[in-house]
Amino acid sequence: MSDISAKVKAIIVDKLGVDENEVVNEASFTNDLGADSLDTVELIMEFEKEFNIAIPDDQAEKIGTVGEAVAHIDEAVKNA
Amino acid sequence: MTYNLLKGKRGIIFGALNEDSIAWKVAMRAKEEGATFTLTNTAVAIRMGDTNKLGELCNAEVIPADATNVEDLENLITKSMEVLGGKIDFVLHSIGMSPNVRKGKHYSDLDYGLLDKTLDISAISFHKVIQSCRKLDALNEWASVIGLSYVAAQRSFVGYNDMADAKALLESIARSFGYIYGRERNVRINTISQSPTYTTAGGGIKGFDGLLDFSERMSPLGNASGDECADYCIVMFSDLTRKVTMQNLFHDGGFSNMGMSLRAMHTYNKGMCCDCDPECDHEHKYD
Repeated sequence: MSDISAKVKAIIVDKLGVDENEVVNEASFTNDLGADSLDTVELIMEFEKEFNIAIPDDQAEKIGTVGEAVAHIDEAVKNA
Repeated sequence: MTYNLLKGKRGIIFGALNEDSIAWKVAMRAKEEGATFTLTNTAVAIRMGDTNKLGELCNAEVIPADATNVEDLENLITKSMEVLGGKIDFVLHSIGMSPNVRKGKHYSDLDYGLLDKTLDISAISFHKVIQSCRKLDALNEWASVIGLSYVAAQRSFVGYNDMADAKALLESIARSFGYIYGRERNVRINTISQSPTYTTAGGGIKGFDGLLDFSERMSPLGNASGDECADYCIVMFSDLTRKVTMQNLFHDGGFSNMGMSLRAMHTYNKGMCCDCDPECDHEHKYD
């Protein structure tokens, strides 16, 4: 697992209070990990802070799974 | 209709997330009544909701603050006095959130770490706001501070969960600090116990639609709407209610003093008959 992937998953475990075994790439934040609308915004803002990137709302809306979050952040960090 | 009840008054309004929020409606009414104010919410809520849009509508500055963080509150209060050009005359605390409710935890299986958060966000933040105002000497004589509550503070409502305990604490803080701040500076501190109101927070309560309907049928005047609650807040911020303090004020169409109403009983009876006999043709004569 890449550093980014590990950090993203640690943030998700911490913020959503879920077991790390549940935080797999295919897991949906809302359907599988029990996140509500406030949780998802909190997660996005935490990713922005941790990785020092900006995730505009229109892009944030497209991030529905753990894997999509990792991919997006990977790309954003490379381009930063 | 406007009455200029808040002409020249300065305020801080916590908790306007979107158009459904009671705080949003209070802001719009306060503007109509001649007040100037700042708006505040957490950075996450500001991003999630439409607080900035309300700021534009009311020509009010939006200052992010986490109401559980005293440093944030001190910054908010200091900045508000700078922006508004003087001490504050009214504060609306419209903040409530239960992580236990959000996580679907039953009241008999609460997570105590989350309970701490419920109490901190929904009740102790009220104390923090008032204590920070007092330490900064930020409130004018006869200033009015309002927190929004619910009757689950006094009576048991299934599904309201640990928010009931938070509301009981909120109301107690209004009494305890109301004495101190009243003696010192004639500051009024009250809570308004509002009918269930469909907001982002209210909608999170289990069985909310049923509660809304039950409450409507039980209250002789029907549920008080968010707009009507805003009207009441305006009156409480005005100079017309200077000797009202340390109270929990029910704004609920009479619900809190009801035991049984014919309208609610009528619906209950219908349910009973339908449960036991699908072909029931009993004539219900209540209403």
